[in-house]
This record gives sequence, structure tokens and C-alpha cells, in this order.
Amino acid sequence: MIFLTLVLSTFREAVAKKIFLGFFAISTLIILIFLFLINVDSVEGMVDMMGASGEEGIRNLVIGFEVGMINISYLLIITFCLISVASFIPSMLEKGNIDLLLSKPISRTNIILAKFTGGVLLVFMSLVYLIGFVWIILSSKSGFWHFPFLLTIFWLTLSFAIIYSLIILIGVISQSTILSILVSFFLVFIVCPVLYVREETIFTLVDNNIVQFIINFFYYILPKPTDINKITTEIITGEQVKTYMPVFSSVLFMLAVLSASVFYFKKKDY
Amino acid sequence: MSIITTKNLSKEYPSKSFSKEKILALNNFSFEVESGEIFGILGPNGAGKTTLIKILLGITNRTKGEITIFDKEINENSYKKKLGYLPENHKFPNYLTGEEVMKFYGKMSGMSGKDVKKRTDELLKIVDMEKWRKTKIKKYSKGMLQRLGLAQAMINDPELIFLDEPTDGVDPIGRKEIRDILEEMKERGKTIFLNSHLLSEVELICDRVAILNKGSLVKSGRVDEITLVPDNYVIHCSDLEENIMNRLLTGFKVTILGSNEFHFKTQSYEDLNKLIDFLRQNGILIRGVQREKNTLENMFINLIGSQN
Repeated sequence: MIFLTLVLSTFREAVAKKIFLGFFAISTLIILIFLFLINVDSVEGMVDMMGASGEEGIRNLVIGFEVGMINISYLLIITFCLISVASFIPSMLEKGNIDLLLSKPISRTNIILAKFTGGVLLVFMSLVYLIGFVWIILSSKSGFWHFPFLLTIFWLTLSFAIIYSLIILIGVISQSTILSILVSFFLVFIVCPVLYVREETIFTLVDNNIVQFIINFFYYILPKPTDINKITTEIITGEQVKTYMPVFSSVLFMLAVLSASVFYFKKKDY
Repeated sequence: MSIITTKNLSKEYPSKSFSKEKILALNNFSFEVESGEIFGILGPNGAGKTTLIKILLGITNRTKGEITIFDKEINENSYKKKLGYLPENHKFPNYLTGEEVMKFYGKMSGMSGKDVKKRTDELLKIVDMEKWRKTKIKKYSKGMLQRLGLAQAMINDPELIFLDEPTDGVDPIGRKEIRDILEEMKERGKTIFLNSHLLSEVELICDRVAILNKGSLVKSGRVDEITLVPDNYVIHCSDLEENIMNRLLTGFKVTILGSNEFHFKTQSYEDLNKLIDFLRQNGILIRGVQREKNTLENMFINLIGSQN
């Protein structure tokens, strides 16, 4: 009950700060574009242009749309979500607010978990709205109901949750929204993509075994949103997923970082 | 029955500089708060008052010592269900209305929605905030926020309530209303733990106080007892003639305050009786003999001044 109250307060905060209203507005715009700009004639025309015909052509077209949309919007969605939730922990830790919260009969572990759950649920629901409507529009217009696309909601939420755990840790330690955003962006947009292509890029330039070992070490311990995006694309296109190692190691990273947040939060005096 | 007991409670903070020296915020602090009393904690800035409250509420971790609240060592959070707290400079989420603040903190105290609604209606009426209940608190004045804060602290009808500067920013009429609320709570058997810089206010409502200085307990007891000046009396009598005054000044340790009033300092009841005998033998009518009483403020200033 108390845990749920805190989870719901995260929703209230998001609404009050108009954070997710922006996400909702952009999502609605994308949905409207899909609703009005794609009609049955254009679908048939595009199928003809692709040189394919019949169900196979429609299938390829729909999957192409889905993959395109995910690849384009992936970074946008993650960026927007991370900016949206980055202030949750620092604002909770403000003097006068945290004192009251800690005087209530809820453990510090549950406070962190409630904030985490609240943020993840918010993003999940936002993605259900965006991806769900896009899926319904694409499927109803094309007549091809491609269910694996719905799994994107899960994979994107997972990617977000992994990075959000890091935002929570930085927030608990530094109480700074800006620092939380900067570190998570640096990780998601620079470190992870570089580590993802390390074999094709860095290792061709550096053949020192120790350096390669260190780079590999960081690749394996850090989260892998780029790899998870690749897995998402493979699932949509129906390709065989080569390995789920990036998912498992990223989830482990998330659990470790959340545990560290709880540990630090428990020790900290306010 | 004591509701709060601490034994050798200490809190050390790491120094902010690079030295290994630690800052001792509380030093082997032992005290008890009895059930149903209004207990005041006093001390100069940095004495450790807020640290003590925060440790009792689990907001700050203790370095060592024992704490018992409601007869249990405070290792779990369940004791907080029966607590209320109004922090100094509290900060409610400013996007909430007064009513939503009550609802949020009520539910955070483990109350049902129905109970929260009932208590909110009652309390907002008591603190005279009913007509502002639907207004966003970012539009509230400091005094209004303080009234709402007090209502929030009472939402779960706590057995023990901690108030850190509850009248901060409140006008004199509002302060009187807050005192009345606290008196009413005391009548209902609630225990109130009060930290206030307004010593005149503490003197008015507290049953007992503890005075902290540099993290240590320097004095504690009933307010009327600790403000008494031992062996000092004020004698009220009929008009004193000049020769009686002179004999009083030479024969006794007195300070004349007026033609029918003087101050007498003595070490024993025998001396006091000798003085009374002298006055009666000289036909002086004794109208009153009072032990001299200090104000809490004077006592506090003298005590802390002598220590620093």
C-alpha cells in the first residue's frame, strides 16, 4: 500500500512536471502520421515498387516500416525517457522532502525500488501507447498482424530500465539531475556504441592484448543498449537471435547498480 | 512510562576538511521522554538538537548507543506508524494542493483512503486551512505551509509527534492557536517532542526540557524546577523605614528592590527564619515570601554562556 502510494506519486510528479505530456504529444503526432499518411493505396503502391507481390510483399513492407521506426525512434525514445525521469531522485532527496519521506514507515530499500518501478511503469505505459497504436494502424491498413513488433515495448522498456538504474545511482550519490543526464548520455550514446563496434574499429587500430582485454572487460561489465536494440531488430525481422548474452549481462548490471544505490542510500545521513 | 529512551547515544560526522578529525554532533546522550508530556529540546545552533530528532526518526544513522521508542529498539520501521513529524523548513511537492499533501502523507503513514479523507477534513478545519484545501501549495504563505505541515504531522493521529520549529513564520495569533492544538493533543494523552528557538513559548507549554550544548546534555528537568534560583527569595512586606533598611543591609545579604520589596540571598532555612523573626520583631508585616524564579531564557543564556 505504502509502496504503491510512492509509485503513484512518481506518476503524479511526471504529470505535474509535464514531462510525459511532451512524450504523449510526440507519440500522438507519430500515431497521426501513421493514421493519415499511410493508406491502403500507398501500401499497395509501395509493395509494387519493391517488386514483391502478395502477402510476402506486404509482410516485408510492414516489417520494413517497423524496423525503420524502431531504428529511428530508438535513440529519441530513450533520450526523452531519460531526460524525463532524471529529476525524480534529486527532487526526492531535497532537504525537507526526504526528511518527511524517511520518517514514514517505509524502508529505504523500498523507497528506491518504488521510484525505480514508478519510472519504468511510466515509460512502459508510454511505449504501450506509442508502439501499440502504431502496430494497430499498420496492421489494420496492411492486413498483416505482426505480433513480434509488440515485443519492442518490452525490449525498449528493458533498455530504459537498465540505464535508469544508473541514473538512480548517480542521483542518490550526487543529487544532481544534470550529472545524471550527462553520465547516462555519455554511456548510451558514446561508450556503448563504441564498445559495440570495438572489434571492427578499435581492435584494428590497437593490437595490444592488454588494451584489448581492458576494452573487452568494460564491454562485458557495462550495459549494452546498442546490442539490445540489435536483438530487438532481429526479433522483428524474424532472424535468429545470435546471443542473449547482452541482455543477461545488462540485467546483471542493472541489479548490481540498483543494489549499490540501495546500499549507499541506506548508509547516507539526511 | 517512558516513550523514548536513549542510552549513550552518539553521532560522529566525518570532517569536511581532509583531516581525520570527526565532528561529534551527539556525545553519549542519555535521556527519557515520558508518555503524555510535552518535552522541549533546547540548545544553541549546532548543539545537536535536529541531529537527535533525525536519529530518533531514522533519518540519520547513529554512530553508537541504544534507542527505545514504544518499548522497542528502533531496528524496524513499524514504530513510525505511530509517529508524526514536522521538519524544520519542510518542503512538500509544490504541485500538490493542501488536500493532496494530506492524502499523500496519510497514505505514506499506512492509512486507508477512507481514514485519510476523514482526518483531512477534521485537521484542515482545526488548523484553519479548509478554504485553501484545493489550492496548490506553491501559492501558500510561510504561515499557511506551517499550518498544513502541522496538520500533516497529525494525519495518522500519532502517539508521539516531533515538531521542529513548528511556529516558524507563524504570526502571534497563529502561534497561540498552535499552542492550543498542542495542549489539546496533550490532554488526549499524546506525547509531543518540541524543538523551538522561542524559549518563551517552550516555557509556556513544555512540561520538561533538556538542554543540549556541543552534543552533550547539560541540564534537564521540569521547567518550573530548572528555572528556580536556589536559595534566593523575594520578600514582599509593608513599607520599610530607613533605619530598618539600613539594618537589613548590614545584617543580611539583601538587595532592596523598593520600599516594600527586597531580595534575600541565603544558604539555609535558618537564615530565612532569622530574617523573618527580625522583620516581625520590628513590626513589619510580611505579605509574601517567594523563591526567586528565572525566565527560561535567562537561565538558558546564563547556562550556555558559562559553558562557552
